[in-house]
Amino acid sequence: MTTLVELPPSVRAAWPYEPRQARVNGWRMHYVDVGPDGGGDPVVLLHGNPTWGFLWREVIPPLLAAGHRVIVPDMIGFGLSEKPTREQAHSLDGHIANLAALLRGLDISNATIVGHDWGGPTGLGFALANPERVRALVVMSSWGWALPPSDFHTRVFPWRLMHAPLVGPYLLGRHNVLAGRGVYLSVVDRARFRQRAQAAYEAVLPDPATRLLTWTWPRWIPLDEGARALDRFNWIEQGLRAWKKPVQIIWGREDDVFDRGKFAGRFKALLPHAEGPHLVTGRHFLQEDSGPEIGALIADFLARLGSA
Amino acid sequence: MSGVQPIPAPSLEDTRLAFLLAEDRVGHYPEFRAFLTRVFDLDRVGLAAPGYLRAPSGGVYALVFIGRSGEPFPAGVEISAVLPALEPLDEDAADRDLWAILRWLIEGVGGAWSVADLDATGRLYRIAASA
Repeated sequence: MTTLVELPPSVRAAWPYEPRQARVNGWRMHYVDVGPDGGGDPVVLLHGNPTWGFLWREVIPPLLAAGHRVIVPDMIGFGLSEKPTREQAHSLDGHIANLAALLRGLDISNATIVGHDWGGPTGLGFALANPERVRALVVMSSWGWALPPSDFHTRVFPWRLMHAPLVGPYLLGRHNVLAGRGVYLSVVDRARFRQRAQAAYEAVLPDPATRLLTWTWPRWIPLDEGARALDRFNWIEQGLRAWKKPVQIIWGREDDVFDRGKFAGRFKALLPHAEGPHLVTGRHFLQEDSGPEIGALIADFLARLGSA
Repeated sequence: MSGVQPIPAPSLEDTRLAFLLAEDRVGHYPEFRAFLTRVFDLDRVGLAAPGYLRAPSGGVYALVFIGRSGEPFPAGVEISAVLPALEPLDEDAADRDLWAILRWLIEGVGGAWSVADLDATGRLYRIAASA
């Protein structure tokens, strides 16, 4: 199990936050909780596959500068959190419940839930099940409905092959290709990413046994009516149609996983009152190219909402 | 094309199984389960015996099939190298053999799945065995 002290010095220097632990649904979840103690208006930053809280390192400072409390959990199975070794430990409902356990344990209220990739459905699910704790939503390069999938996710090469039976445990398990190369391929400034961030994503998935969720999550993305989480995604979509609280949409101009026209556009259609989409430089992992700008966009959005 | 061949059960005297790979959802795409069921006659054999493959290196690999209540059989499969009992694994050779087994699997599953796409995926992600 990876701990902060085992990370390369460059990673630790870029992630100076005190590690915290919580028990959620029987698992050990790592998170950071920084900013004004006991202050309201927390911002909860949720990563996806195969990243961890580190993804938000350049988003956090503008939020702290604006006076927000910032909470950044590592999803169970990623980052510095516990990594179950059986795929039955993972489901969308389970991850939503993990987040609920953390945020209820912290007695969070008036929260802004920010979701990227699988942090989107997870955070949206939490918000819809716990609306009394949520002030606003921010979504980026993610989705909140069952079908249709993105063009990227329907292609055999490389996506479906990457996590196909036995191929997934080989490529993503033995060879860690999603953290080792997939993220690199999905940023704009690859040289900068390799120099500053690549090691952080590989270091927390050091052995095949730690990488299970990297090929389990892809198999939970609905591709057809037989998908496992179809009902939950449909519930999320219905909930979003009725959601009246503030929403902000941020997307990467170069996103080639969740096409911005289709996916940011569908969020906008579901949530016509949403701000945006604000476009920033970025492919799927847009935080790697535009972290400070994203942090400032969220801080400005929350400032416009005024005091809770 | 892959150089991988299903073989009858070998003698396991003075050998050990060196675990390499586990797949909990071999039916994630049902055609993968169907192929393995066909090749190893699993509707008849069930859990009674593993399947065995000989890889291009000459190494033998055991496929241990896993059942889960309420799910079609097999639910999963583990691949282990059959090694002399006290000898360490040649990791590079095993990795090349696993890649060959995946090429054999994809070729056998067929349909939308092609060895050319698998090889392209291996090259995209810089898998040495795919070079």
